[in-house]
Amino acid sequence: MAFEDYISEHERQTQRVLAMGGAERVARHRSTDRLDARQRIDYLFDPETFVEIGRFARSERREDWDKTPADGKVTGYGRIDGRETAVVSHDITVKSASSSPINVRKMGHIRRTAQANGMPLVLFNESSGARIPDTMGAIGTGTLGQDPQQFVRIRDIPYASAVLGPAFGTACWFTQLSDFVVMRKDAQLAISSPKVTSIAINQDIDPMELAGWKMQSEVTGKVDYGVDTDEEAIDLVKRFLSYLPGHHGEAPPRTQAPAGSDDASASLLDLVPESRSRVYDVRKVVAAICDKGSVMPLKDRFAKTAYTALARIDGRVVGILASNPLYKAGALDPDSCDKSIAFLVLCDSFNIPIVLLVDTPGFLIGVEGERRRAPGKVINFMTALQLCTVPKFSIVMRKSYGQAYLNMGGTRNSDEMLAWYTADVGFMDPNVGVNVVHGVRHEEDPERFAKLVSEIRRDSSAYDLAGIFAAQAVLDPRESRTWLKRLLEVHQRRPQKAIGKHLLGNWPTTY
Amino acid sequence: MANESVRSDITGKVWKVLHAIGDTVEEEEPILIIESMKMEIPVLAPCAGRLTKLLVAEGDDVAEGQEVGVVES
Repeated sequence: MAFEDYISEHERQTQRVLAMGGAERVARHRSTDRLDARQRIDYLFDPETFVEIGRFARSERREDWDKTPADGKVTGYGRIDGRETAVVSHDITVKSASSSPINVRKMGHIRRTAQANGMPLVLFNESSGARIPDTMGAIGTGTLGQDPQQFVRIRDIPYASAVLGPAFGTACWFTQLSDFVVMRKDAQLAISSPKVTSIAINQDIDPMELAGWKMQSEVTGKVDYGVDTDEEAIDLVKRFLSYLPGHHGEAPPRTQAPAGSDDASASLLDLVPESRSRVYDVRKVVAAICDKGSVMPLKDRFAKTAYTALARIDGRVVGILASNPLYKAGALDPDSCDKSIAFLVLCDSFNIPIVLLVDTPGFLIGVEGERRRAPGKVINFMTALQLCTVPKFSIVMRKSYGQAYLNMGGTRNSDEMLAWYTADVGFMDPNVGVNVVHGVRHEEDPERFAKLVSEIRRDSSAYDLAGIFAAQAVLDPRESRTWLKRLLEVHQRRPQKAIGKHLLGNWPTTY
Repeated sequence: MANESVRSDITGKVWKVLHAIGDTVEEEEPILIIESMKMEIPVLAPCAGRLTKLLVAEGDDVAEGQEVGVVES
């Protein structure tokens, strides 16, 4: 047969690479109930659509040529539900998927191709960090940084990360750059491993305290979801991407609203208590307004006074930003400002209209807030909201006081401002206002206090807001979905073909 | 089994205690209600499990972040 030697050598080389770090290492990895780097790609992509780029790349160190198939990072392109997508899948069985000059070159190529062709980038992050000794010394370190755009994020395409094992160094950096992060509950995410960190600062370190999913989802807010399996993680990555366009030059994909999506609106009067002193869970309100089963919360365990979620209304993708009275009565704190900004950045970058649902007594004030730079965060939030060029609709459900009224889309800070007939808008809570303005406390003179509260509360209704055209409509809560469906049809930004200016596209990646 | 602290996320006064030591609770189930800013704000279970400690009583003042109980998951 012609070319017999070539064919057999090609087959040998291919099988050598596909064996990854060898049967023993792969088996050890799989024994921790994990998919390997190539199985993850198979699970991600439509069957038979993956093309591998850089299969025969290897370490530049001659002594490691045979030990570094694909140089520890499997990269290429495939399709998710028919849409072209790029992937970087770290192979922990090859030198712990450590980052080397060659595999960083591969990652750069994949990123540039994804950007040039408008394809989302998926990263399966699991790496020990920089490869040693390759990156030691001036020559090793100096070979890094050959791609100055490596860590620049302009959000022209979506990045989605799954942290599936130890993720340090470059794997951690790309997680920070990502729009969405899901993490296995037994994975670790940090600048350096607990071992290296422990040696560097001469302290014993609890790995989960340094790098665990709870820390990353509840304290830093970087991780959107903690999961038990690789499959759950990859399913969530696919679900997240289903709400986004392939790139910032197109609108998000529209779907058909499931049958029965209008039915839950009738329950809204049961979900929100009439008594102003009672709280409720805004997540139930969001579920009742949006298409059935369409709500995907983001950063749900972080800064819970602000609730952020991707969802659909009449099949159109929307971003929901709501204050949640269930936590801190809906008072917004520094973390909830950061969370809100991150969400506005996502929506603005990818042409997703924003729906703000408001029931907040204002920003939480106090010494701790000032120490945590609350004023700067409030005003960053305000700036970000104003820089958004996607359609914004604000609904005041009950309370909306002070600066938070503006931050949550009050008056001209949204394209259309709607108020439920239960809305109560003012500079501050009337009970607090009486004390500040008149110096009267309830316990000192209950009768006068009640009279003054009623005076301050006067002119604070939805009709007062609509009377000066600060609100464009007063609604029965049950009409919210119908109104939003119509307004989403009206606000299509037709001259710009539904594409925003993306002024937040290069807002700092994290906070 | 792990012990998780139940913490108030706001400063206020304990208005109602809804569970006793030994009760089984679901994640995010209200354990007690704080009165703050003229609102009734629930303190929620951090995880599903059994309430093994309850550190406050009705009428007590609580500070933001204060541990008010423990749930064993």
